[in-house]
Amino acid sequence: MKEVAIIGAGIHKFGRFENKSYLDLGQEAAQMAMKDANLEWKDIQMAYLSKMYLPATSGARILKPLGATGIPICDIEAACASGGIALSQAILGIQSGAFDVVMVLGVEKMPRGFMDPSMIYEKWQIQMGMDTNPSYWAMRARRHMYEYGTTDLHIAKVAYKNHKNSVHNPYSMYQKAFTIEEILKSPLVCDPIHLLEICAPNEGAAAVILCPKDKAAKYTTQPIAIAACVPTNAYYSADFRAPLDSLSAKANNPGPTEVAAKKAYEQAGIGPREINCFEVQDTDAFCEVEITEQLGLCKFGEAGRLLDEGVTEIGGKYPINMSGGLISKGEPIGASHLGQVFEVVQQLRGKAGKRQVPNAKVGLAHVLGAGNNCAVTILKR
Amino acid sequence: MSMEGKQIPIREGLLTTPLAPPEKVTLVGSKCGKCGEISLGKRVQCSNCGASRLEEMPLSKKGKLWTYTVIRHKPPGDYKGPDPFVPFGLGLVELPEGIRVMAPIQADPEKIKVGMELELEVYPLYRDENKNEVMAFRFRPV
Repeated sequence: MKEVAIIGAGIHKFGRFENKSYLDLGQEAAQMAMKDANLEWKDIQMAYLSKMYLPATSGARILKPLGATGIPICDIEAACASGGIALSQAILGIQSGAFDVVMVLGVEKMPRGFMDPSMIYEKWQIQMGMDTNPSYWAMRARRHMYEYGTTDLHIAKVAYKNHKNSVHNPYSMYQKAFTIEEILKSPLVCDPIHLLEICAPNEGAAAVILCPKDKAAKYTTQPIAIAACVPTNAYYSADFRAPLDSLSAKANNPGPTEVAAKKAYEQAGIGPREINCFEVQDTDAFCEVEITEQLGLCKFGEAGRLLDEGVTEIGGKYPINMSGGLISKGEPIGASHLGQVFEVVQQLRGKAGKRQVPNAKVGLAHVLGAGNNCAVTILKR
Repeated sequence: MSMEGKQIPIREGLLTTPLAPPEKVTLVGSKCGKCGEISLGKRVQCSNCGASRLEEMPLSKKGKLWTYTVIRHKPPGDYKGPDPFVPFGLGLVELPEGIRVMAPIQADPEKIKVGMELELEVYPLYRDENKNEVMAFRFRPV
């Protein structure tokens, strides 16, 4: 299979931008990626927009003003994993030989507060009050605590670490460290998850430009190879993201993160312990606990110990969410995976400043969300 | 002249009929004739194996709490629970048929525990614009 590389990456800070439209956010990220790849809009042959909350034809509305070159522009949605499935489509397009230079842009501008539940839940679930997104994460956390003895302190340590990392990330919505005590004393949203342990929906954009790896030298001296990009959806009863109504008590299928990671490791020809840095879905702090285990960095039930030992800090063996994670950056859904990919590209190029993982050669990005959509991408320098 | 409304389920295919008396009503499961897995409510195909030979059956009213959370803020959208809002438990209740059902837990949030014994309660949640009593479900301690 033809190898594909990232030749340019761009981002618009994640946060709240009252005076900017989603067109502004997307165009800025797209221009930054094109500048990084030393090419112009007329060189792009196909573009995908990853989004969930933006209206129809957003991709064309954002990108056509850069020049009506007549290329196909396609909007893609798979909840929190939208960026992963958009990226995989772009890779397939290049591998098929149909295109050489493809842009994948993620943009979101989400309403404040809780997300509109009718996007995800049936009417009866909303009327009965089963449509608070964090409740699903919270129930997973409670069960993990019951089965493995994971504690409130373990969960708080994830939030502590990610907020601490965010201080050095200029693209993060929040760049503020909090003490463990502040985190545990912040209001409970859905027990056992506290306010400072949850990500906020917000606004932002990120973009990458891809081409066949053997043509990358034409554009950049620092191409980043895409060693794997695997989108997936959960097997039967293997996950309980929203909008669940029931689960089997008999089925015992591996979760979507385990499935996507296993396939990605096979494609990349490496195991999790050969990866130097990770950006993973921390919609809430517990989510990172579980994903640490499902990515194979330790056995089930042992992520708490890894946190106690500092293994997932930037100076540790398996640094996770060097960017500050979604807890600090916020989650502009369509842009979140491409934001992770942007961070990993900076890490592999040695350009991550004070959040740099020394000599990072391989990095992984992971997203997981509503409808049990998941994606794992592995990058190599 | 106003007509007295009737009782209707919050979602078709979720509760056994008739809806009165509510103590006799149970949740409906769809059991797959091929793999034996049970899904909640009426289904067109088994989401485990894809078979279309499904048999509807009443589910047990008693179960054990598998996991839970406490909803501390009013849920978004058209929530029909108490106004002003009262925090409530939400959990997955494991029934003997091998299914865990998501449901509100009608108990003091501070006393909810994984493993506690619970019983189904079918009750009128609200009256719709045609004055029908809309019947919903929750679990409460035995």
